[in-house]
Amino acid sequence: MPTLHIINKAPDHPRFPACLRALAEDDTLVLIENAVMALVFESLPLPPCYALRADVNARALSESSVTGVKMIGYAGLVVLTETHQRVMNW
Amino acid sequence: MHTLIVIDRLPYGDWHGREALDMAFSLAAFDRPVTLLFRGAGVNWLRPGQSADQLSQKSVERNLSAATIFGVSALLADKAALRQYRLSSDQLSQSASETDLTPAFYKQFDAVVVL
Amino acid sequence: MAMPVPQRNNEGFLENADEWSPSVAINIAAESEILLTGKHWEIIELLRQFYKQYEISPPSNRLFVKAVKEQLGEIKGNSIYLMQLFPGTPAKTACRIAGLPRPTNCL
Repeated sequence: MPTLHIINKAPDHPRFPACLRALAEDDTLVLIENAVMALVFESLPLPPCYALRADVNARALSESSVTGVKMIGYAGLVVLTETHQRVMNW
Repeated sequence: MHTLIVIDRLPYGDWHGREALDMAFSLAAFDRPVTLLFRGAGVNWLRPGQSADQLSQKSVERNLSAATIFGVSALLADKAALRQYRLSSDQLSQSASETDLTPAFYKQFDAVVVL
Repeated sequence: MAMPVPQRNNEGFLENADEWSPSVAINIAAESEILLTGKHWEIIELLRQFYKQYEISPPSNRLFVKAVKEQLGEIKGNSIYLMQLFPGTPAKTACRIAGLPRPTNCL
């Protein structure tokens, strides 16, 4: 069952690598709050994922686009939670 | 007596940094020499172009720009952390300057506060 | 006549600085029996600009005085002058009238 993973921890938080390890092939990852810092954190390999636009803009990271990372708004996040039967919060 | 106030957490994630900033402003209000150091993840306070209205928060970049008016002596950024978060020293807002965090660096201050 | 004053908190500060207008200022000032003169408006305008630029109210009285001194010099940037214009705690009184949030460190 595809799982939606929502992480709000900074990339140097121990839970960040744990979350990446838990991602299955057909899962979806969304970066929110502190987790959007992963867009600029050095040498962090990010899988294709989403990042919450409001958090990206607050931290002035909108120019720091990373291949495979798509921006979504709050409405987009709601759609994702509706289309996944399982949600894991990190 | 010169105080160093350290901000070492990401902006917008919690309130520690704002509390630290408040402390720096209070020292400055009483004309006490105070320097702000952005260390580790704290360097992200200095990334230019922040816009936090969608989070219903005030931009820490804007808040920070009042520091010199209030009399904060200097804004410093951890050189190693700038690299880690892909910031270059010439793009930093508030014309903060980068610094190497050697033991000698900390010895310049009479008190060092980390919240 | 009904006074047009937007939503405020229990200390009389506007909930939303964008809802401020000069007539709101006149009405809030009238509550403290302050009749706004050119000298008042000069400080109110300074505070509005300050808030627009820094997104904070001067956090304390001393920093309010510093901010005024920075812009208008020592004759106006001193606590006696500001106390005469905005009695009580000048930073609080002035921010309330100018529609800014409550200064954080004013008791």
